[in-house]
Amino acid sequence: MLEVRDLSIRFGGLQALSEVNLDVGEWEIVGLIGPNGAGKTTAFNCITGVYRPDRGRVVFKGQDVTRLPPHRRAALGFGRTFQNVGMVKTATALDNLLTAQHLKADYSALSGVFGTGTALSEERELVRRADAILELLDLREVRDLPISGLPYGLLKLLELGCALATDPELLFLDEPSSGMGPEEARELGKRLSVVRQEFGLTMLLIEHHVPLVTSLCDYVYVLNFGQVLVEGEPEFVRTHPQVVEAYLGTAS
Amino acid sequence: MNRLSGRAVAWVGLVVVILVVGLGGPNAAAHGTTAAVYALAALSINIILGYTGQLSLGHQGLVGTGALFAAYVTTAHGLPFQIALAIGGLTGGLAAVLVGFVALRISGLYLALITLVFGLTLEQSLFELTTFTGGGAGEAANRPSFLLPNDRYYYLCLVVVVVVCYLDSRLTRSKAGRAFKAIKEDERVAAAMGINVVGYKLLAFTLSGVVAGVAGALFAFATQQFVGSDFDFRLALVFVVMTVVGGAGSRAGVVAGAVLFAILHDFIAAFGPFKSFAGLFPTQTGANLLQFGPDLIGALLLLLTLAFNPGGLAQQMAPLVRWMTGGPFREPRRRPPAVVVEALEAAGIETDEPAGAET
Repeated sequence: MLEVRDLSIRFGGLQALSEVNLDVGEWEIVGLIGPNGAGKTTAFNCITGVYRPDRGRVVFKGQDVTRLPPHRRAALGFGRTFQNVGMVKTATALDNLLTAQHLKADYSALSGVFGTGTALSEERELVRRADAILELLDLREVRDLPISGLPYGLLKLLELGCALATDPELLFLDEPSSGMGPEEARELGKRLSVVRQEFGLTMLLIEHHVPLVTSLCDYVYVLNFGQVLVEGEPEFVRTHPQVVEAYLGTAS
Repeated sequence: MNRLSGRAVAWVGLVVVILVVGLGGPNAAAHGTTAAVYALAALSINIILGYTGQLSLGHQGLVGTGALFAAYVTTAHGLPFQIALAIGGLTGGLAAVLVGFVALRISGLYLALITLVFGLTLEQSLFELTTFTGGGAGEAANRPSFLLPNDRYYYLCLVVVVVVCYLDSRLTRSKAGRAFKAIKEDERVAAAMGINVVGYKLLAFTLSGVVAGVAGALFAFATQQFVGSDFDFRLALVFVVMTVVGGAGSRAGVVAGAVLFAILHDFIAAFGPFKSFAGLFPTQTGANLLQFGPDLIGALLLLLTLAFNPGGLAQQMAPLVRWMTGGPFREPRRRPPAVVVEALEAAGIETDEPAGAET
């Protein structure tokens, strides 16, 4: 579904990514792990179009999307979350879910300004879908609260809801379990499996929480210093000496 | 008196006060018209500054463009008032599209600079063209006879303000309004949600330009002429300052800010205490003080707003606005929902109201 070939990007003197190759098949959940500063989020930003890579290609369902801006990729079926929660902080949970359904709102900007019948009935439909997502994630109670006051774990969950609201085929999750305890992370793992079933999703996720990666992922790439160090099944990767070394350093 | 009727009385009172201005004679109506035009300018700035988070320092150019073309088509081509008003809006929007195409790939300080240059350029070129402006005396923009009395014209301007406010409220509750807000907070997040950031910034500029153009056209017909020098950089600053002092992002706030600045503009020089204050200074300084009084006080209000009251007048007005639109006066203290309390407790944070508190 997603093919990344020879992805390279340089920031000044830092080669942040060099010749990264990734494949994500339909229905797979693929993990992207690696020590801090390995280039995981940079890879996400290149793949989703926030950065333009110096070299390499990103192919989604046979279409080369390397030069498309992020919103065009979203229209093709990319959905993503951000490391530090990517939502509109001054808006309510419901408004965020409505904002995220931007591409689903099937009326022109001007008919929205004039409040035409189509626009109003579309808006009702968006609210209905937003409520369904809140229901699915057990977040009904925060529906009308401004999100700025919510605890971090709920924010991450709501952000997942927003990413789902964009109706993606391929979901990029940047550390979905950050700020969660082990118990909550386990909950999240279950939720992600449910969500995958419900929405027919393929996922690529950056994650530090090892049990979550091993239980959830079909395949794992380990990034270190901007290069793919090791790839394989979660169990293989977890015990691979090079991976252990990358995380813990070499015993001298 | 129950709540509903109290609210009704408040609304009636507000409407009466606004309408009475028109009955206070031609001068009062003219001041009211100025306030209405200012309100439109503030609503225009609010779309890009308050909603989308972009700064324009060239809005006098857009207002002036609307004024110029409204006057031109009326006097040179004899088009009726309604058409001239529409042309004012269209040309204002068109000018905004032009500056938008150049400016929208940048933001922040550089966008402010480009719009500033754009405004100054229009001021020095288009507004001085004798083809349009009929020489130094300016282009006439005569009102049709049925709008000739100042009070009638004032009421017309009020209607326009109400219509723009209504459309603006629809805008903020539609996908375009939400897109603007997302762009204001984080362009990357907006793009990830599928929002075409550049496209929606351009839309914000265009809508803002249309409102600015209509404001300009109404201004031209208020003074019944277009004079290029009316649309100088000082005006652009006043527009931005009154929007911020009113509370960028709040419809009621920016309208209140605009009315405040219109009053300041029209009356401060005649205000007794301010006159005596200016009298304390040497003659020339005192005269300058009176002339630039509105700017001076505007700057002072801006500083006070930024330092102590970042939400602007809207911050103070919030309870009132909430009450008048059907909500409670005081913000209800809501108990955080169980799911929030649970999450906080799991994180080891005590909530305000522990379970089983004494009743």
